[in-house]
Amino acid sequence: MPFLSHGPHRFRYEIEGAANAPVYVLVNGLTQYAELWAAYREALVARQFRVATFDLLGQGASDKPRLFITQDDQVAALRLLIDELGDAPVFLSGISFGGLIALRYAILHGDRLAGLVPMSCFAELSPQLLLLGNALRTGLILGGTGYLQDILLPMNLSNQWLEPLLDKLDSVKRQGWLVNDVYALQNLMESFLDFEPLTPQLASIGVPTMILNGEFDFLTPRALHETLRVHIPDSSLVIIPRGYHAFTLEKPALTADLLARFAEDVLAGRWQGNKAVWIAPEEAGGALTPFPAGYDHLRAIPTQGATA
Amino acid sequence: MNEFFGPLDSKGRVPPHQQTRVAAFLISAHGALARQFAFTLPLQLESAWQTELNAQLYRESETVSLLMRATSWVPDLALGFLAASWERTWLPSAVEGIADRPMASAAGLAALAHAVHAGIRPAALLPVEIDAYDPFAMALRRIEFESGRLLQAQIILLKSPNLLPFRDAVSAALERRHVEVRKLWAEALQGVGIVSRRSES
Repeated sequence: MPFLSHGPHRFRYEIEGAANAPVYVLVNGLTQYAELWAAYREALVARQFRVATFDLLGQGASDKPRLFITQDDQVAALRLLIDELGDAPVFLSGISFGGLIALRYAILHGDRLAGLVPMSCFAELSPQLLLLGNALRTGLILGGTGYLQDILLPMNLSNQWLEPLLDKLDSVKRQGWLVNDVYALQNLMESFLDFEPLTPQLASIGVPTMILNGEFDFLTPRALHETLRVHIPDSSLVIIPRGYHAFTLEKPALTADLLARFAEDVLAGRWQGNKAVWIAPEEAGGALTPFPAGYDHLRAIPTQGATA
Repeated sequence: MNEFFGPLDSKGRVPPHQQTRVAAFLISAHGALARQFAFTLPLQLESAWQTELNAQLYRESETVSLLMRATSWVPDLALGFLAASWERTWLPSAVEGIADRPMASAAGLAALAHAVHAGIRPAALLPVEIDAYDPFAMALRRIEFESGRLLQAQIILLKSPNLLPFRDAVSAALERRHVEVRKLWAEALQGVGIVSRRSES
């Protein structure tokens, strides 16, 4: 298990695939760990990509700083990992908290990237997200990691995914509970206490950017992704049908296919962001369709209206 | 060597020699914290934050009481030597570099308590096959759960504005305590066939 060091802290990473191939770097969400990208590693390596995954500081097998950990530390660790990858084109993707770290990296070191894919992501804390974050933190403090998982599972995953697992949820939660410590998760959450919106800096992201948002994402709904679409110049927004916040867990084949197609389009010079809004196919390999013209993609009912 | 307790007996219970070793370690650590909180707690509370000292004292005492009653004890010849080493490690140690001695002592106690509450996760040693209604297993779950809540007082103190000017000294003391506590915990477990999944780098 290889490690890199950021200051006194070590973080665990894995790289798989041919040495000179274009690379996908995948950044975990808050309660995740690198093994959860296994299906992506397999699918993307089969599509001739190299894949780098890692545990953020405070997660999984990486060191867990005792009291203080900033998002700048996470970006610095990510930079160390990307520096390990040589000169091949780098596509950076992250989900939720990991998407935010990816955004921060792209703002600071965008020249090192060939493409960016923020998923279930946000650049600012809306009142709802701020209050939900506070409630999740209180839930962690009062009820432990298991209680946090109990809240996140129904919030972030569909009935279709949950139903067959209802009588074995403890085993679903167990690995996440084992590898995550209350204090370390709390430190990650408290890295938002001095959070400043990234929105004013989004325009500096010059790389092709595909924003992925689940159709039914409750935690980070469409409006938060819209901020990214409107401000990142070469971006487009792709809505994942029937997807919730954790659609990367539910729909790995579809999501990995979208990642691969995006990178292939960028490398072939076919990518055009145009701040367009698309609907992803239901299954991997299907065609993306433009969001119907004249309708407001920020609404859940078909309402006519024009948005920027 | 395994990451979890075992092999379990036919009723899904933790072997008594593992129960004894783990309970002895936890009683030593939480008992030391209880004693130190008891010495710090004034007879008459003068500040609101001192109510937390009272809570910490009684939660730690509860942990000790619970383990004494929930554990299937057997003789453990290594305990005399180990306990002496543990008790030496728990001795109070003020954070160096803080001129205000009461504050330095409080920060030192908080660093030790943080290391015990955050770094020791006894319930994570329970395998999935454990009898969920076994009192020892239930006790470990309760101790880990309560530790997560007790930890909040240490986090609040160690991150408090009063200690921010001494952030480096506090971080160093906290790091030292974590390394000490986890090393002892790993050694205690190793002696009964369990490898700690979170040994220090």
